[in-house]
Parts: sequence; structure tokens; C-alpha cells
Amino acid sequence: MENNKEFRHYVIGFVLATVLTIIPFTLVATVGGKISFFALILCALLQLIVHLRFFLHLSYKGQQKEDLQLVMFTGLILLIMIGGSVWVLGDLYNRM
Amino acid sequence: MSSSTRQSLHPGLNLGEEHGDDHLEAETSVFGFWVFMMSDLVTFGMFFAVFATTAPLACCPGPKELFDLGSVAWQTAFLLLSSLTSGMAVLTLKQQHGARGASTKKLVFWLLITVLLGCGFLYREISDFISMAAAGGPPTRSGYLSALWSLVGLHGLHVTGGLIWCLVIVAGILVRGVDLRWKLTLLRWSVFWHFLDVVWIAIFSFVFLGGLL
Repeated sequence: MENNKEFRHYVIGFVLATVLTIIPFTLVATVGGKISFFALILCALLQLIVHLRFFLHLSYKGQQKEDLQLVMFTGLILLIMIGGSVWVLGDLYNRM
Repeated sequence: MSSSTRQSLHPGLNLGEEHGDDHLEAETSVFGFWVFMMSDLVTFGMFFAVFATTAPLACCPGPKELFDLGSVAWQTAFLLLSSLTSGMAVLTLKQQHGARGASTKKLVFWLLITVLLGCGFLYREISDFISMAAAGGPPTRSGYLSALWSLVGLHGLHVTGGLIWCLVIVAGILVRGVDLRWKLTLLRWSVFWHFLDVVWIAIFSFVFLGGLL
């Protein structure tokens, strides 16, 4: 029973990830423009959540909070480092 | 053991209580590997930061001349499917309550399918690299191209490592049987493999699709 549930979990994750992959590829190939860019970012973030939830089995339930906190803290570090680099160098670029 | 440790800390990427003490070993082992994985993610993040602060120069070919959307779609499909098949391998491991059994064959089957899909990804990626270099976009041409090659190449190296690791696991399982050591290795490898797919989402979205927009 438990294994059936987990099998479904993987399949649901795979289907969601496939849809969230096809959308941005189609948009870039056909539509383009600013709207596609925002849709692209949205799909990427959603797919990231799908992967963490359905393939890597992270959630806020039960005792797995340590894992999730670890991932979120790393996310914060990355946000500061990447965001900071882009901000500082973008600012320098605009002053040139 | 206290009752709290009997509950699964990481359901899914774990063995399950039928595996007895092996299950408890796996909990800490997988969590430890998560810590390593996150430090690896920071490394990738830095390559992304470098890439984000470079722009294609007028002197050299840019995304429109270099990227092949169809090939990137193929690579994405290969990697996503291989993520699913590696999940199937972990499920097979969980169903196989410990001892050497009929499902060892099934486990090896899923692992080898994963390796094949991973090889398909690498083949596409390497032929893309070759055609990029031929189209006048080797890594030495501009800062943008250096950052591009390093980021995508770093991911490709990880995939290569993951494939070798998987083959070692297959060999280990065939020679020694599915004992605790190989169970734990397989779980850690599956975290690594799913993680590579997550990094690839960021690469195809921001480097390839974002570059083409």
C-alpha cells in the first residue's frame, strides 16, 4: 500500500515536471517577449518545488523540518550572494 | 530505540521500517549527504552569479547563434526521465526487504536504464559543445562564453560523476548483494541524481531559454 502511494507520488511529480517544462519551451519557441520571460521564471520556481516535494520528498509536515530548513537557509545564502553580485555589478554597469 | 526514531524522518528517500536497523542508519546518512549537497548547491550558485554578471558581447556569437533549442529539450527530457527511473530504483530497494532476492534484477534494471538516459543526456550535451566551438563560440572567446562553458560544463561533470557512481553501485550490488553499505550508497546517489535535475531546471530556464528570449 505504502509503496503504491509512493509510486503515485513519483508519477504525479513526473507529469507536473513535464508540463512545467513543456510550457516554457513552447513559449520561447513560439511567443517570446517579456511575458514569456516572467512565465519562464514562474515555471522554473514551480518545477523546483515539484522536484523538492515529489522527488526529494521534502515537506513541512512531520519531522523533516531539519531538511527543509537546511534547503531554505541555503536558498537564502544563494539569494544574498547571487542577488548581491547582480545588484552591485548592474549598478556599476549603469554608471559606466 | 525510542518511539520517535521509529518514525520516518525522510519518507520516500529512505528504506522504511521493514529494513530494521538499516532504516535508522539511513536516516542520518541521508541527512548528512543533504548537508554536502547544499554546499555543492552554493558552488553552482556562484557559477550562476558569474554567469548572470556577464553579457554576450557584440564581437562574438551569442545565444541565438550558439544554442539549439531542440537539443536542450532532448537533454531536459533525458534527465527528467532518468530522475523518474532513479526514483523507481529507490522504490524497488524499499520493497526488497533486505536480503538478496528476485528484485535485485529489477533494481539493476532501473539503475542501468538511468545510466542509459544519463548517457543520452551527455551525448547531446557534448555534441552541443562541439558544435558551439565550431560555430565560433569556444570558452576562450569572451567572458560570457567562459562563464557559459564553466557553468554547463560543471553540471556535465557532475552528471558524468553520477553515472560512474551508479555503475559502481550496480557492480557492488551484483558482487556483494544488497547489503547495508550499498543501500546507503544508493540512497545518497539518488539524492545526488535528483539534485542534478534540479540544477538543470535552473540551467535550461535561465541560461538557454532566458538567453534565447
